[in-house]
Amino acid sequence: MTQTTNRRFGRRVLMRSSAAIALSLTVLGVPAPQAMAQEIDFWAQDYGDLIAWQRTMKTFADEFKAESGIKVNYEQISWSVAFNRWLTAAQGGAAPDCADMFWLHSFSAIGGDQYGPMPLNEYRDTWPTLEADFYEGSLQDVNWSGDFYGIPWRGDVRPLIYRKDIAEEAGLEGAPQTWDDLVTFAKAMQGYDANGNVTRWGMALGPDTVTQGYVPFFWQAGGDFMTEDGRTATIDTEATRVALSYIRDLVWEHEVLNPDFMERSYSAEGDFPAGTVAMIASAAGPMAPSLSVDYPELDGKWALAIPAAGPEGRDAYAGSGYLGVLRGSDNVEECVQWISFLSRPENMQRLSEASGNVSPMREVMASEFWGDTDWKQVIQETMEYAHTSQHPTPVWNGLLSPEPGAVIYDMMYRAIVQQEDMDVVIADAQARMQSEMDRAFSE
Amino acid sequence: MERKKRVFCLLMVLPAILLTLILGLIPMFTSLGWSFLEYDLLRIQEHGTPFVGLENYRTILSDDRFLRSIANTFLMTGLVVAIALVLGLVLAHVMRAEYRGRVIVRVLICTPWFVPPVVAAAIWAWLLNADRSPINSALMDAGLIESNIRFLTDSSTWGPFSIPLLSVTAVRIWNGLPFVVIFLLAGMQSIPRDLYEAVDVDGGNLWSKFRHVTLPLLKPILGVLAMLLLITGIGHFEINYIMTGGGPNGLTDVMSVYSYLQAFSFFRFDLASAAGGMVLLITGVISVIYIRSQLRNEDKS
Repeated sequence: MTQTTNRRFGRRVLMRSSAAIALSLTVLGVPAPQAMAQEIDFWAQDYGDLIAWQRTMKTFADEFKAESGIKVNYEQISWSVAFNRWLTAAQGGAAPDCADMFWLHSFSAIGGDQYGPMPLNEYRDTWPTLEADFYEGSLQDVNWSGDFYGIPWRGDVRPLIYRKDIAEEAGLEGAPQTWDDLVTFAKAMQGYDANGNVTRWGMALGPDTVTQGYVPFFWQAGGDFMTEDGRTATIDTEATRVALSYIRDLVWEHEVLNPDFMERSYSAEGDFPAGTVAMIASAAGPMAPSLSVDYPELDGKWALAIPAAGPEGRDAYAGSGYLGVLRGSDNVEECVQWISFLSRPENMQRLSEASGNVSPMREVMASEFWGDTDWKQVIQETMEYAHTSQHPTPVWNGLLSPEPGAVIYDMMYRAIVQQEDMDVVIADAQARMQSEMDRAFSE
Repeated sequence: MERKKRVFCLLMVLPAILLTLILGLIPMFTSLGWSFLEYDLLRIQEHGTPFVGLENYRTILSDDRFLRSIANTFLMTGLVVAIALVLGLVLAHVMRAEYRGRVIVRVLICTPWFVPPVVAAAIWAWLLNADRSPINSALMDAGLIESNIRFLTDSSTWGPFSIPLLSVTAVRIWNGLPFVVIFLLAGMQSIPRDLYEAVDVDGGNLWSKFRHVTLPLLKPILGVLAMLLLITGIGHFEINYIMTGGGPNGLTDVMSVYSYLQAFSFFRFDLASAAGGMVLLITGVISVIYIRSQLRNEDKS
């Protein structure tokens, strides 16, 4: 070993030791020595009230700097451009040191061992009680191919939402519990004008990302999209037929779901507060907090419920975001320190309150904040039915893309909107999905 | 002196050349290069980017969606060029004429130009939304329709035409029309008035003036405009993507939307580049035909 290498090695050991000490002190809440003063770049998407969110992140950065001496350069990424920014980062484009990330499976496959999310296996012991502190499903979303990538900090658990005032007007009590109830409620809440045109649709499937609205119905019918190893597509099953037939009937037999629900200009999330959609079977996580803040005039007029039970289950769609580090960063220890700081229960609580997102940390969800209204309690109950939306293949996000040409979208469009022969459509979709999945694993 | 002048001219155009090179030509040729490689983001780490020749072109040209997007691209672009030029001629006359309130009319005609296509698309997507459209409400209140017109979602077709295709085309014309009008107005104002007076002396009417003076003298401008509209129309993306995303059932799908989805939804930059390569090829052929015809005309004159 040359003298230069020795010196570099010695400096590395010194840096690692001081980082480890600083990390331990940070975890214990003790201010770290100022010697590690450095800067890290951190990106996070925007949530809830954008100004309040930015203020919260700035406060965190200030507190962290006072504690560790490390300056956090925070950059807020709009969700409208987030996907393209991350796709670029995963291919070697501009990237921060650490960030609020998502779609781990796809981005880690795209980045390989050069770019994108960085495994943090050697730092996993920083969180010794991870399994006890966090919900199991959220931890699935930060592990991929045997590697640990970060700390989940937000969840997107999707309950059913419906207009309580309209349901009561229609003489309905409580919330729909089963798929049959969904039809009953939707028919009763549907509204028409004098010409027989629909003025209020009885129901919508899910958020504006239309393919995500189909997923819980498929699970509730007992389906699984693929085998556990992510190698084999498993959609040519009875569950697919049951789910697609049910939704097709909602459109054409019961006429309670807008036949345009798969088109770009359709927005159930916009129609619900406007009163032109009475119920959404799987409402995106931020919808309830947003309604309670942005539509005070609707207070008491809507309610959440656990998704209705299908023939085989009551699964709720759940996604999550995590705090992770990017490959290529020279400040890994500092980033882990920052993530460790943010993942303290009190800070996870503040993150959850500021963003309006449910927390994957049990302690936060057991707090007074998440139990002070009926709808928050329902979200807590729905978490018991949460089914992770991530699947063990990098092509998953392409398969589920809400755009024409994607396997699930095309299958839904042909089977539901165009009412083509169900068996043919499903067989085609199975073949296409398998071909896409082979793409990721082929030699 | 001559050398100094040349250096000065070069310096003046250098920023434009650099910008065109960095933001236009380099990305364009890089993308063209990718169209001959396997450039699949999900395989790139394991397999790299091997040369595959024309395989990507074969793949997209055997994809029904891409073939339909080519047909839609030509149809929509053809409609935009034809209607924008005819309407542009009419509106240029309206802008040129002298009457009270002319300034207001000029501002109204130019207004769509101030609206970026992305914003225009979002506004029109709302105006034409079947359930929320104020246009539908107005038509229904006037008793002209009994049920909402599904401007962006009706998948009924008459030959290659459909309501969504015509709606999106109309918005593209609306957004691009002021450019055409201003171009033609400038051309019309350069026509000597004595030519019109000569037609008056010959007892000609408005139509004679248009047919024998305006139209022949505007021909070169109309040619340039048609060429520009064709090139920008074939590569057009934002209004189609934002308003319909190519739907319903692919009725408004165009080549650039297909290319975008391949890259950013399905991670296939190779197929996206091949689709982009097709756009480049088509616009290139049109440009060559146009330039050759111009040169031939110059030789004749």
